[in-house]
Amino acid sequence: MTDLVIETHGLRKEFRSRRGVRVAVQDLDLAVPAGGVHGFLGPNGSGKTTTIRMLLGLAGATQGTMRLFGQPVPSLLPSVIGRIGAVVESPKFSPNFSGRQNLTLLARSIGAPSSRVDAAVETVGLTGRDGDRFKSYSLGMKQRLAIAATLLKEPDLLILDEPTNGLDPAGIREIRETIRQLGESGVTVLLSSHILAEVQQVCTSATIIGNGRMLASGRVDDLIGTSTSYRIGVADPSAAAEVLGRAGFTVSIEGGLSVDTTEPARVTETLGTAGIWLTELTPVRADLETVFLELTAGDTLGGSTEQDR
Amino acid sequence: MRRLVGVELTRLRWRRAVLLLVAGAVLLPALIGLARVWDTRPVSDTERAQIVQQSQGQINACVDRPRQYGVRKSLPADQIESRCEDVTVGWQLRDPLTLAGERSGGSGMGVVAILTALLLLAGTTFAGHDWNSGSMSNQLLFESRRGRIWTAKALAVTLSALAIAALVSTAYWLAMWATMQARDLPMVDGALTDSLAYGLRGAGFAAAAALGGYALTMLFRSTVATIGVLFAVSVAGGLVIAMLGLSEHWQPQKNVAAIVKDGTTYYVNPPDSCFIGERANAVVEDESECDGERNLSLWAGLGYYGLPLLVTVGASVVSFRRRDVP
Repeated sequence: MTDLVIETHGLRKEFRSRRGVRVAVQDLDLAVPAGGVHGFLGPNGSGKTTTIRMLLGLAGATQGTMRLFGQPVPSLLPSVIGRIGAVVESPKFSPNFSGRQNLTLLARSIGAPSSRVDAAVETVGLTGRDGDRFKSYSLGMKQRLAIAATLLKEPDLLILDEPTNGLDPAGIREIRETIRQLGESGVTVLLSSHILAEVQQVCTSATIIGNGRMLASGRVDDLIGTSTSYRIGVADPSAAAEVLGRAGFTVSIEGGLSVDTTEPARVTETLGTAGIWLTELTPVRADLETVFLELTAGDTLGGSTEQDR
Repeated sequence: MRRLVGVELTRLRWRRAVLLLVAGAVLLPALIGLARVWDTRPVSDTERAQIVQQSQGQINACVDRPRQYGVRKSLPADQIESRCEDVTVGWQLRDPLTLAGERSGGSGMGVVAILTALLLLAGTTFAGHDWNSGSMSNQLLFESRRGRIWTAKALAVTLSALAIAALVSTAYWLAMWATMQARDLPMVDGALTDSLAYGLRGAGFAAAAALGGYALTMLFRSTVATIGVLFAVSVAGGLVIAMLGLSEHWQPQKNVAAIVKDGTTYYVNPPDSCFIGERANAVVEDESECDGERNLSLWAGLGYYGLPLLVTVGASVVSFRRRDVP
């Protein structure tokens, strides 16, 4: 049985206001195995950040249970918080303090040596600017500082909520590499992101949520699925479609000839026997974006509202 | 906990707004002290001669009709002139500095009021900044036990406020004492000790105010909201006391005085029956129904401010532990 670093069962979060009750997260069963990078995907307002905030004790759950490293939270959160680094939403630091002052205060609160501040500053590439006030930082620098703060704990679990927001392409690549390296070094990373290509490149597994509910979860390869469709290039697509149809293949000629099959060799054989020679036989692979859009189609922003509670 | 308090003390020390308020808490009492030293400076012979010269007409009138000025006519002529000079000139001369005078009606309460107001604002702005910047949630990611965070910040605010207020108060009263010594002014036994105790009680009150400001801000999560509520309560409280016709016992400033002065007096209107018949001429016993002067003890003052402070602290802690943190 795989050790789960993050585990939720029947997690629910309601926000009450005069307009009624808004359900941000409902019946969420999240399971993040130890090691690797786990993507946490969902449209805006789907409940990703709320889930992360509940896991970290910043918001209370209306219902359900949560465990981090096997410990129930929030009751035993203090026993595991030292192993968790997190960036939740936008970086939040004292604007009039320098980046180094902000990190120093956080490091002192956990008894970390000042050398760890130096190391964190260097890791995220803020050396030379760490003495500047936080409010003078660009969004990208603020993100780097937030990531530096997570590294102060030398965490076993890193929870990153949109960590590349505001970074330039080089910065995005650096952070992506950092995340990949952390995942490979045994740190479990929960990466909440809208950049699906990034998740697909970095993550080994992912959970997709919409309207506060889990829509899919598993290894990224499994979510995308094995390719069953092939694009075919021939001189006469109509003739080829007729031949393949007669042989029992499911064929589509819209947007180019394609065939659904798990036996591409039979396609070659069938067309060759009919004297039709292939110029192309390319597997059409689904990507995470396609899966994400299919799963989250029709989701409304900000969870569901229950008026009569 | 010691580590967390250390972190909060550093955070407090690095906050410029707090430093400005602390600077004010040092400078304004210093200015008040300087003003008192100047206002009570000894009258020079030249000044006295000038005043005597300006009042010569009145002195002459007194010498002519001494009884009108409260001077006995039976005194020898030179003594009459001397007494007349004292009577007509004396009130124009500056009062000398006395520690008792500064405590009862002088600058003592002014210093306490300034320390209280500025340190309350310091406690408020210290907590408000954490909420305003959103850094509170970041701090909770490093220490998730909210009770410890609340307590560490409260200790940092209260201890700092107490230390600053105690230092300023002590320095103030020592400066007043030193001034009197330098001027060879007579001093009642124990005057300095009484003044230092007065200053320390005032410092305790200012530190409690800082804690109250901090607790309220942790409850409302906004400096502006806290200041607004405090302003509204002070205005509405005064109106309610006036509308209900409550005695001075319930006035905020009387209770501050009770704490700082280790008890004070206030006045009530005795019932009409006290002025009718035999009671009108009877000797009024202390604290009796017909005695208009009442005592307000230190403990009564502590209860007046302590109870709301306890309620505020309790509500603040419960709210901070239970509510979601943005």
